[in-house]
Amino acid sequence: MNIAGIGIISNRGRGVQSLEKALEEGWIPPKDSSYCVSEDIIKDKVILKEARRADNFTKMAVLAGYDAFVDSGLPPEAKKTLGIIVATAFGPHATTFRFLDDILSYTDANVSPTIFSHSVHNAAASYLSFMLQSRGPTLTITQFADSFHQAVILAQSWLNENRCDYILLGSVDQYGEVMKYICGQKLKIADDGKIRPFSFSKLPVVVPGEGSVFFLMTNQTTSKKYASLFPPADANFKKPDMCILDCDGMCGSEEAYLSIKETGALVSSYVPIFGSMLTVSSFNCVAAALMLKNQCHYPTPIQDNPHGLDLCKIHQPAKIDRISCIKYGCKREKREFFLEK
Amino acid sequence: MNRECAVISGMGAISACGNNVAETLDTFSQGRRSGGRISLFDTCLPYPVFEVKGLTNGRDIMRTLNLAFIAVKQAIGDSGLQGVLQDFRVGVCLGTTVASQLNDIDFYREYKNTGNASMHSVERYLKGSLAQAISEKLGLAGPSCTVVNACSSGTDAIGVGLSWLRSDMCDIAICGGADELNRVPLAGFGSLGVASNSLCKPFDKERSGLNLGEGAGIIIIEKEDTCRKRGKKARLFLRGYGLACDAYHLTAPRPDGSGLETALSRAMDEAQIKPAQVSFVNAHGTATKDNDKVEGMVLAKVFGKNIKFLSTKGFTGHTLGAAGGLEAIFAGSGLREGWIPASAGFTNIDEEIGIAPVCQKTEIIGNCAVSTSLAFGGNNSAIVITKE
Amino acid sequence: MEENKELELKEIRAKLKELLVTSLSLEDIKPTDIKDDEILFGEGLGLDSLDAVEIVVLLQRNFGLEIKDMNEGRKIFYSVDTLARYILENKKK
Repeated sequence: MNIAGIGIISNRGRGVQSLEKALEEGWIPPKDSSYCVSEDIIKDKVILKEARRADNFTKMAVLAGYDAFVDSGLPPEAKKTLGIIVATAFGPHATTFRFLDDILSYTDANVSPTIFSHSVHNAAASYLSFMLQSRGPTLTITQFADSFHQAVILAQSWLNENRCDYILLGSVDQYGEVMKYICGQKLKIADDGKIRPFSFSKLPVVVPGEGSVFFLMTNQTTSKKYASLFPPADANFKKPDMCILDCDGMCGSEEAYLSIKETGALVSSYVPIFGSMLTVSSFNCVAAALMLKNQCHYPTPIQDNPHGLDLCKIHQPAKIDRISCIKYGCKREKREFFLEK
Repeated sequence: MNRECAVISGMGAISACGNNVAETLDTFSQGRRSGGRISLFDTCLPYPVFEVKGLTNGRDIMRTLNLAFIAVKQAIGDSGLQGVLQDFRVGVCLGTTVASQLNDIDFYREYKNTGNASMHSVERYLKGSLAQAISEKLGLAGPSCTVVNACSSGTDAIGVGLSWLRSDMCDIAICGGADELNRVPLAGFGSLGVASNSLCKPFDKERSGLNLGEGAGIIIIEKEDTCRKRGKKARLFLRGYGLACDAYHLTAPRPDGSGLETALSRAMDEAQIKPAQVSFVNAHGTATKDNDKVEGMVLAKVFGKNIKFLSTKGFTGHTLGAAGGLEAIFAGSGLREGWIPASAGFTNIDEEIGIAPVCQKTEIIGNCAVSTSLAFGGNNSAIVITKE
Repeated sequence: MEENKELELKEIRAKLKELLVTSLSLEDIKPTDIKDDEILFGEGLGLDSLDAVEIVVLLQRNFGLEIKDMNEGRKIFYSVDTLARYILENKKK
C-alpha cells in the first residue's frame, strides 16, 4: 500500500514540515523529563470548532488525521470510500482518571457524562470521522507495544478486500500525571533527557513522549506521494538500504536489537526526537517516509554508539530505495515492516 | 469486493444466561431472566445488572480475561482444534471496553491520597491486554489485535477476523469479545441517563434504558479449505461484514439510521443475499429510547414490517465488548437449532418504531441470519451468518 | 416578597450562566453573552443531548435537584430563565 498523505502532532509541532525541521535540527532537551505536546500546538479554531468538549487526546488525533487527508490532496469525494483505523496503546487515560476523580468526589450517582463519553478509546476516531464527514468503516484498536503494527496489518487487509479505497491509518497516545507516576515506577527515566537507542541495554532509559501520526494509505499508485509500505506478511527479502530501530526503552531489555550488528546495515533511530511511547513505530515510520521522499539521510539524533554500528550521522542527499523499520516487543518478538521509494 | 466466506467451526459463550452455549439455550427456551442487584462491587447505584454467577475474581488476573479464557476454551473444544491449533496460522481478534482501560478506582484513590500507590492493579492491567494474553497463552503467532470500538467491538472483531482470512494473514481466527461488569461504565451509563432502574424492555413502548451485563462470546472462524482439509464438517458460515460510521455525534445515533443501513447493505452485499432471504435478525436492542427507535426503524425499512427479530439483551444485559461475540453465537444457534427465543422484556409495541420483536419462542425455517451492533461514537456493524 | 424573588432569580440566572459555560465547555462564549430567554437546545445556543445530561449533573451538584424524567426536563431546560425558575421553586430550603 502507498502513503499518499501524512499528518503529525509531536512535541516539535504540527505537520510534516515541523518534523522535517526537527529531523534536521536533531535532539533538544525535554521539558520536565518528557516530550509533551503543548496546548498551542493543538489549537485550531477552524478544524476544532465543533469540538469544544474534546480532550487533548482527541485533539491530537483529529488534527493529525485531518492534516493527513489534506496533505494527500485527494478530492472530497475520496471520503466516500475512506476508512479510519486508529491505534492506541493506552487510550485517553487522562480523561479516564478525570472520570475517576468524579466518582471519588461526587459518588457513582453524580458523575459527568461528558467526561465518561470521552474516556472511551474510540472517542478520537468518532471525532475524526465527524470532522471529515467520513462515513466509512471506522475502527480503534489497542495492542500495547504492537498497536501500530496490528493497525498496519488491518489496513492492508481492508485495502486488499476492497473494504475501502483509502484509509486514514494512525496512532495516538498521550502522557499525563498518573502515567508519569507509572512510568517512574516501571521504567528508568533518563537523567540527562537522552534516550540512547543504540545502547541495546538490559535496562534502557526512557524519556516519555506523546503525540499522534496519521497516514493516508491507498493501493492506488497514482496517489503515492511518499513511499510504499509493506506489512510483514508481504515482505520480500530484498536488502534494505537502512534500518530504523524503535528502541525507545518502553519494552524492557533491548539486547535483541544486537542482532542488527551482524547485518552490517546502516542504522538510525529518531525516537530521541519524539520521546518514548508504545506507538513510537508510527513516528519512526514518518521519518522513513520523509527520507524516501526527500532522498536524504536525516542524522540519528543521539549518536552514542557503544557497539560500533554503522550509524546514519549526517544530513545529506542519499539514494534510498528501501528502509526496514524494526521493533522488538516486550517478549523479544520481532516486528518489521518495509518502506519503499 | 472479496466475498470469500469463513466457516464458523467453534463457539463458546458465558454470560448471565449460562456458562456455556447449551445452558444459554436452555435459559432462552425457558425465558428465564436472572437480572438483579449488583453483588460484584459496592455502589450506590440502583440499576439491576446481569452478572455471571460463580466466577470468583483472581487477584492477579482481570475478570474480563477470565471470562474470555473460559469461552475460548469452549470454542476450541467445539471446533475440534484442541492440541492441533499450533499447526495453523491462527490470529486472535477480540473486542472489549473495560479491559482496555486503566481504571482501577482503588489504585487511583491511593495514588491521589498518598502519591505512592501499589502497582498491583497496574501490573494486572498490563497483563490483561485481551487478544495478546490469549495469543500468548495458546502460543499463537498469527495477527493479534484487541478492538476497542465501544459497544460494537465484538462484532467488529469478528469482521477483522474475516478480513484477515480473506487477505491470507492467517488460516484460522479466534474472534469475538469479552467484558466484565465494572463500576466505571455503570456510573457512566447512569450519568448518560440510559441505565434503567428495572429489568430492560428492548423495543417496548415503555422501555427505560439498558441493564449492564458481562460475559464472553468467542467463535472460531477458518478458511473453507482449512476446515475441509482437517475433515471438519462445516455447518455455519460467516459470509459478510459491514461497518459504517454515522459521523454524527459521540453519544447519539444518527436519527435517520443511514449508518446502520449502510452497514447492513455492505454485509448483505458481501454475503450475496437479499433482505428477503434473511430469516431473522439478532438486533442490538439495548432498550434505550434512541437506539431501539433508530434500529427498529431501519430494520423495518430494510427487511419489511414482518421481519422476525429479537434482542437477547433482556437475557444477558448489555455485555458491551462481549455483546457482538455473544450475539453472533445466538444468531448462529438460532439457525442451527431452528428456533429463537421470545425477545425478553417486550410487551407493547411502540408506534414510533412501528415493528415488534418476536413475542414467543419462534421457529426458524430459513438459513440466513443477521446480527447488528450499534455503538458509542456512531459505529454501526452487521454480520451475516448462514447455515449449510 | 416579589422583589426578593426577582433578586434571587437574577442571582440564580447569573450563577447558571457561569456554570453552563464551564460545565459545557462553551468556548468563546462569556456567561453574560447568554440571554435569559435564549433557547438553549437546537437553535439558539445550540446545545445537544449530551449537554442535556450534563445539565442534569450540574443541577444535582450545585442545587441538589434531581431531574428524573427527561420529558419533564425538556420544559425546564428551555432557557436560562426557565431553569432559574425551576431551581427557585424546587431547591432545598
